[in-house]
Amino acid sequence: MISWYLATPLVLPFLTAVLAFLLRWGRAGRWISVAGNVALLGAAAILMARVLEDGVIAGQMGQWAAPFGITLAADLLSAVMVVITAITALAVSVYALADVPKRAEHLGYHALFNVLIGGVCGAFLTGDLFNLYVWFEVMLISSFGLLVLGGRPEQIDGGVKYVTLNLISTILFLSGVGLLYGMTGTLNMADLAVTVPQLENQGLVTLIAVMFMIAFGVKAAVFPLFFWLPAAYHTPFFSVSAVFAGLLTKVGVYSLMRMFTLVFTGDTGFTHEILLWVAALTMLTGVLGAAAQNDIRKILSFHIVSQIGYMIMGLALYTPLALAGAVFYLVHHIIVKANLFLVGGVAERIAGSTDLGRIGGLYKTAPLLAVLFLIPAFSLAGFPPLSGFWAKYVLVAAAIEIEGWAIAAVALVVGLLTIYSMTKIWAEAFWKPHPDGTDPTLASLSAHDRRSLIWPIASLAALTLVIGFFPEPFVTFAERAAGQLLDPTAYIEAVLGGPAT
Amino acid sequence: MSAAKTEASASGNGWVGLVPVALAASLFVWFLSFVPQIGAGEVVRLSWDWVPSLGIALSFLFDGLSLTFALLISGIGTLVLLYSNTYLAGHPQYARFALFLTSFMLAMLGLVLADNLIAIFVFWELTTITSYLLIGFGHETYKGRRSALQALFVTGAGALAMLAGFILLGFSMGSFELSEILAQGDALKAHAMYLPILILILAGTFTKSAQFPFHFWLPNAMAAPTPVSAFLHSATMVKGGVYLMARLHPGMAGTDVWFWTLTVAGAFTAVFASFLALRQTDLKQALAYTTLMALGTLTLFLGQTSAYAMTAFAAFLIVHSLYKAGLFLVVGCIDHGTGTREADILGGLARAMPVTAAAAALSALSMAGVPPFLGFIGKELKYAGALEVQAMETVVVGALVLANALMLAVAAVVAYRPFWRPAGGAMPHTPHEAPWPMLAGPVILAVLGAFFGLFPGVLQWALVDPTVAALTGGDLHAKELKLWAGVNMPLILSAVTVALGLAIYAGHRSLRAALIRATDAGPNFDRGWDRFLEGLKALAAWQTRVLQSGQLRSYIFTVFATVLVGLGGTILARGVWQGFPDLSGVTWMNVALMALILIGAIMAAITRSRITAIASLGASGIGVAMIFIAFGAPDVAITQLLVETLVVVLVAYALLRLPQLDRPGERDWRPWDAVLALGVGAVVTVTLLAVLATPFDRRLTTYFETASWPEAFGRNIVNVILVDFRALDTFGEIAVVVIAALSAYALLRTTTDKAAKPATQKDKAS
Amino acid sequence: MEPLLALTIGVLVATSVYLMLARNVLRFIFGLILISNAANLTIFTAGRLTEGQPPLVPEGLDAPAVVVANALPQALVLTAIVIGFGLFAFALVLMFRAYSTLGTLYSEDMRLAEPREDRAS
Repeated sequence: MISWYLATPLVLPFLTAVLAFLLRWGRAGRWISVAGNVALLGAAAILMARVLEDGVIAGQMGQWAAPFGITLAADLLSAVMVVITAITALAVSVYALADVPKRAEHLGYHALFNVLIGGVCGAFLTGDLFNLYVWFEVMLISSFGLLVLGGRPEQIDGGVKYVTLNLISTILFLSGVGLLYGMTGTLNMADLAVTVPQLENQGLVTLIAVMFMIAFGVKAAVFPLFFWLPAAYHTPFFSVSAVFAGLLTKVGVYSLMRMFTLVFTGDTGFTHEILLWVAALTMLTGVLGAAAQNDIRKILSFHIVSQIGYMIMGLALYTPLALAGAVFYLVHHIIVKANLFLVGGVAERIAGSTDLGRIGGLYKTAPLLAVLFLIPAFSLAGFPPLSGFWAKYVLVAAAIEIEGWAIAAVALVVGLLTIYSMTKIWAEAFWKPHPDGTDPTLASLSAHDRRSLIWPIASLAALTLVIGFFPEPFVTFAERAAGQLLDPTAYIEAVLGGPAT
Repeated sequence: MSAAKTEASASGNGWVGLVPVALAASLFVWFLSFVPQIGAGEVVRLSWDWVPSLGIALSFLFDGLSLTFALLISGIGTLVLLYSNTYLAGHPQYARFALFLTSFMLAMLGLVLADNLIAIFVFWELTTITSYLLIGFGHETYKGRRSALQALFVTGAGALAMLAGFILLGFSMGSFELSEILAQGDALKAHAMYLPILILILAGTFTKSAQFPFHFWLPNAMAAPTPVSAFLHSATMVKGGVYLMARLHPGMAGTDVWFWTLTVAGAFTAVFASFLALRQTDLKQALAYTTLMALGTLTLFLGQTSAYAMTAFAAFLIVHSLYKAGLFLVVGCIDHGTGTREADILGGLARAMPVTAAAAALSALSMAGVPPFLGFIGKELKYAGALEVQAMETVVVGALVLANALMLAVAAVVAYRPFWRPAGGAMPHTPHEAPWPMLAGPVILAVLGAFFGLFPGVLQWALVDPTVAALTGGDLHAKELKLWAGVNMPLILSAVTVALGLAIYAGHRSLRAALIRATDAGPNFDRGWDRFLEGLKALAAWQTRVLQSGQLRSYIFTVFATVLVGLGGTILARGVWQGFPDLSGVTWMNVALMALILIGAIMAAITRSRITAIASLGASGIGVAMIFIAFGAPDVAITQLLVETLVVVLVAYALLRLPQLDRPGERDWRPWDAVLALGVGAVVTVTLLAVLATPFDRRLTTYFETASWPEAFGRNIVNVILVDFRALDTFGEIAVVVIAALSAYALLRTTTDKAAKPATQKDKAS
Repeated sequence: MEPLLALTIGVLVATSVYLMLARNVLRFIFGLILISNAANLTIFTAGRLTEGQPPLVPEGLDAPAVVVANALPQALVLTAIVIGFGLFAFALVLMFRAYSTLGTLYSEDMRLAEPREDRAS
């Protein structure tokens, strides 16, 4: 029975994809996508309720006991990632009603999109390392299709870089899985958590850990492996940018968090120290990269990189507070970052471009959009009392708590530079008069488009406000999730059954 | 200032304009109702949970200090909102303006009333954001946007340092409740983290209160509409920093660092700013710099601990807020009535604007420190306080005398010359008096300055005594506020000040010219800001050129180099290498297979011919398949052969439609790539050898072998694993293949139109 | 044989890396084909080699009577081969499309998404 709680969020997107593909010629396809994601959100909520009540839950697919079959497992981190994935997917599928052209729908946009979501959910829910690889591939191949859909030359160019670098990471991941299997004879993550510490050659374990770190590091877009992201994320449809920005790198971050709290915890003095350096450099290079850009989507893309640094920082510090900060950051970031891309799409629609030199005047004549930009933008910049403030606060406090002065300073300085970038978009796109002397308004959109574009943005912004004003439940949740990560006994017991040995 | 040119009418902006006034006024009345309680020495504390798991509460403390600030904020806020409603009557963005200004006021009230460090920070940043939006009210000009960013960035930078200081303070003292922290002031002063905490927090307060060298943003912030300047940049926001230092005073003051830092920074800012104030010809700019002087003076007094200094602080805080807000509003009336704020043009306004002139005169006299105004009492106390500083009395007193004399001169420039001297040029419109809602503020504030001067006892009891109690943790009593304290040192100093001030005013034009020359020669902090931003952009651009070069080859190189360094470094650091393996079991057959694979691979790597490349890839793939056959994996081998065939066919199909691999005459030989490639290959081999040297655990396979037939009813164990034990992998695998086909199809069929840039986003019909 | 395969895989990886770094993106595809083979061989080798015996349960028995090859890595490799093929096919089509859209196969000339004049303003 438990299996169904876990399998439903995984199966639903594929079902949605198939139906949406079959009905892609009419309007039904896109509404199936929306409906499917409503259902996904329901399934995710039920899963979350279950996990909140029972703690970690695990289901053995095909009833083959762990570690022999494939296990799906959900702790609080997995559950919240699935919920947030469903929220993002729903928002983007509504937005896509007005953003994705018919031509792309006919070529299977909705199928690709929903398979992507399926892959993401699979990655969050699986308890098996090779199975994680499979979901990564599902995600990757559908992201390839989504990225180039539209076929503009920039997309193809960005696509080449995105595809090549991600394929390298994939191969590295696959080899890592093979090698780890060669050392332990198992693929089940909980089983790995039990076996790996017992291995003779712990130096080799560290070596494999570094290999995973690099493979997931490419996916998470950390320094110095992030090139594919700013090269490609500004080119596809805004819906696609948004869902990529929100979810894809976070699967990499999630995987790092999972492996480096569950399996690779024997040499934290080495691995987590590397992660801390990576975090600092990722934050800095990402934010400086953004400062050099002059296009909304390019600025936002580099900021994804810089924000990933914060999450890695939480993992690297490896204290209860720091991990709680990382979890909180993940959730906050997905909502905010996806939303900013969606806002960028509306700005492009009504003002004509995302190039800051060619647009302006949105504050004067599109105040609603201005507010809807300001909420996620200032949240990203870490202004209180928005969600991003609490995320940064917890991380900085965690750093100061263990006297990590340097990393705390980096986190704060990067926060300041984030303010710089966000206000740059604000000043150029919103405050500055439009260079053509026109007054962009939301009224220039058809009523249908306006509804489809604004509702998702407004809902995500509302969520940002809720997290910001009522952070307590989210903080306690993040602390509980961090507790589960730091003490994986419950996870191992849930998967392998009975007290872990 | 386009806003000021909007023709004002008393009708204002309807309810949008009046609701904020009513709100501010009722808050003022509510705070007033606390006066008897607080005046009697009580402290009121309210608290609600906010983020209990992080020790963060929405707790508020009403004591003398916070109540004084709250009254000033809500009182001046009421007048400013009333004033703005007329000043910006009919402005299309008035609703936003009123929203921002009201939000600012509420944030400021939160800041001065909050007792929890993090709550203070939250309100602090809210004032930063709202002031950003207010300074950027003139957002269509580059200057407006630049000033807004500058204010945000400078105060934001300080705020982040302050946040670190707060966290450190909270952790060091075990609580985020300020009242609990301050109660253990001695422990705090002795704490190892005292100095870092102090430096970090002062970074926040100095930037917010525009102390030298962070002063440059404040005059630029005058890009905001005048009522905003009156409110934010005189009475409230900039005093946020001063407030915080005052709040921390009982717990942190009394150390040498505290004394020297605040005294030196405060004194220097006061004198430096007074000179700059005299330099200005724009009345608003002149007032902006006098605000800096006031902030410097307040900081200076917070550096001390004597009862005189504390009383001086409390009195001057109130005096300054009253006259400075009044004068800003007066300048707004002048601007509104004449269309300019240039001191050299304005003149003879007393006849056309009598009420404004009277209000200006009263406020300016208070500012100049002339009896019987409250400003005089404030100044006397300042001198009394300065005479008691613990070191360098003469320097401090000298600095104050000079600053006050300059202040007097500036007061004359602002409130005497424009009204009572002949005009220096043609004013944009014929001067006319402002409507009553704009006069209410200046008049009330000016009258209050005079009233409290005559009856200082009210102020003493209601606000000054409790404030001094709050500043000293109840250890000291305030000195008496009185107009006549006999002939003493402060009075003599006052006389000197007045004489000096009048002399400066008399020669202020030539002095101004000299000042302009002098300051132009010195460092320009405002230009330094531009240079800082340019430097930041240059650094960012340089970094982007280096890292995100747009060159795929450098991306791939970096990724593989990371692999080499990461894995190679770990192999060395963690001693993974286990020595050379045993090669005794190798057969000639094995070597032949290996040779087939490698010759194929190497040929593919070095050939320039497309056909050779395809053939070599095929050969290498077949070699791999043969290894599968040799080691008991016929199913894998068959799949491998099938896939390899497809691969070769597809590559051949593609290659024949694409140009040669190398451009004519080019050779694709890349020695550094070869070095990297060999390095990566070597670490892979070493890693694999190390893995193979570990004992293998076969328990999963053993289970599959025993369960395959009895439980899953299959005799081919590999197949059973694929379709049963690990069916979910196969499900995903099928998805990958299907989506790959779909994606590839979409890629080939999707729009090709190169010109269609944004069109693809817009061609949706429905 | 296992150490020999480790060496083979190392050389295979080295040639792939060299190919992937080439100017012409088609050579990247060649590298991809080779490195996929290397990864598959890695999994296969890591599960240890057993000469000859395929993992089958003979008729009439509940389990193999003799030591047979490790079945699990074979299953993983099968999955990986098929997935790898899907990725390869897409990548090839992408390069094909890149040539028809961008007019080049040389990665240094693919500068549309990150144009040269993309500087700070």
